[in-house]
Amino acid sequence: SASLSERSEQMRDKLRKWREDNHRNSEQIVDVGEELINEHASKLGDDIWIIYEQVMIAALDCSRDDLAWTCLQELKRQFPGSQRVKRLAGMRLEALEKYEDASKQYDSILQDDPTNTAARKRKISILKAQGKSAEAIRELNEYLEQFVGDQEAWHELSELYINEHDYGKAAFCLEELMMTNPHNHLYCEQYAEVKYTQGGLENLELSRKYFAQALKLNNRNMRALFGLYMSASHIAASPKVNATVKKANVKYATWATNQINRAYQLAGRGTKENKCSVKAVEEMLESITMS
Amino acid sequence: MAPELLLDSNIRLWVVLPIVFITFLVGVIRHYVSILLQSDKKLTLEQVSDSQVLIRSRILRENGKYIPKQSFLMRKFYFNNQEDGFLKNTKRKVVPPSPMTDPSMLTDMMKGNVTNVLPMILIGGWINWTFSGFVTTKVPFPLTLRFKPMLQQGIELLSLDASWVSSASWYFLNVFGLRSMYSLILGQDNGADQSRIMQEQMSGAAMAMPADTNKAFKAEWEALELTDHQWALEGVEEELMSRELDLDGMFSKELPTGIF
Repeated sequence: SASLSERSEQMRDKLRKWREDNHRNSEQIVDVGEELINEHASKLGDDIWIIYEQVMIAALDCSRDDLAWTCLQELKRQFPGSQRVKRLAGMRLEALEKYEDASKQYDSILQDDPTNTAARKRKISILKAQGKSAEAIRELNEYLEQFVGDQEAWHELSELYINEHDYGKAAFCLEELMMTNPHNHLYCEQYAEVKYTQGGLENLELSRKYFAQALKLNNRNMRALFGLYMSASHIAASPKVNATVKKANVKYATWATNQINRAYQLAGRGTKENKCSVKAVEEMLESITMS
Repeated sequence: MAPELLLDSNIRLWVVLPIVFITFLVGVIRHYVSILLQSDKKLTLEQVSDSQVLIRSRILRENGKYIPKQSFLMRKFYFNNQEDGFLKNTKRKVVPPSPMTDPSMLTDMMKGNVTNVLPMILIGGWINWTFSGFVTTKVPFPLTLRFKPMLQQGIELLSLDASWVSSASWYFLNVFGLRSMYSLILGQDNGADQSRIMQEQMSGAAMAMPADTNKAFKAEWEALELTDHQWALEGVEEELMSRELDLDGMFSKELPTGIF
């Protein structure tokens, strides 16, 4: 009937949008995808294969091995000997925690095609899942030596370094990302946070600058706004700075507090919870002007 | 002005238009055949790696201003250092892909010839044989008599203006003229584009991928040497604080993505 095919069109479009935006909303994908596959398979045409892939990965996220297995079988039947399908089989083994078997699967892909980046990255994910951070970091470094342009890998490495508290190296990775994505406010913010954590006057200055840059790129980044306030007020409170620097940083911190104030006013307009938050922010402002 | 000839309108119907169609269809067929015959270009790990290194160096030059000065200098040193800079000291083996040493190049060349040159000759000849003995059309610009034997094959008239051409010339005109039609219908990189292929064949002998890598490294080295660091964040606080933050719509329900 007309409404049934409309519904399947809608579901198909939703899946496509999630695919294009790289959303990881696995539960939703499983819901929509399972219905689409079971009831409207005939209307999908050649789209069905990429939908099988998308649904399979989402099913693995939701521990739905039954659904994942079904999708995998269909894909294996249609594309025998495909490396892309082999990788999916490996991911399923990973989800079942059969890491040895998964690793063998990826090794066989790499034998056929040493340039296959997906298989190499999956092997590194296995190390991470097993908690072998040092090895994962080492392998990822080797990988990046050959594929310097892989941004996903740089980001993963920065996360691994942050977990190991190696902030200097994490900053290096984030610098790569800032250069390849100069308009991404999140990378600037993360870099600023790493610099702030490293501490020390020079790093605090850098962190303040990059929080400001993140805000410049996205006026609504509240985290960067708070970061700006914190870094500026820390510099102002430090005994090592001269009067000019102190004055400038007080100015920055005050400006930040005013903006935070404005944001909270916009948010609450009278609700009880927000009244408390607004009060806290006002106290913050007072403490800054007093010092 | 030479007296104008009046051509039979049948010529238009049965010669001019069919030749256009034939040329066009042959072009489309050639495009699809070339897709079928395309051999996979397998890149080595080293080539992939090198191309990414070159991109990184370029990004460093263009966007290095977004990272702190120290970080920029550290990377520039890594690339350009006299003793062990990557761009300075990495030499790749240069193997010019001549047809003798590289068998895949030979088959590629043959395939290129078969799909492009051969049909053109065959169809040109067929059209010349089928549509011979009469004048097909007139080119809108005057030509010298030297062009007569070339453009008026099969018409033995000494006094005929060289602007009047035979069907074979109309065919060749079509082959080159329909290029833009192919781009429109088959997309940019289509296999029916004859003139582009011929240009490639002429410059292909001079072009060699591996030699490019060494030259590319040298070019990047020079460009990076010249690049200085102009930190984009010098006055960022002043720029930011010159006006209030635009918090419009921050707390409306329609905002899809998080602000954190």
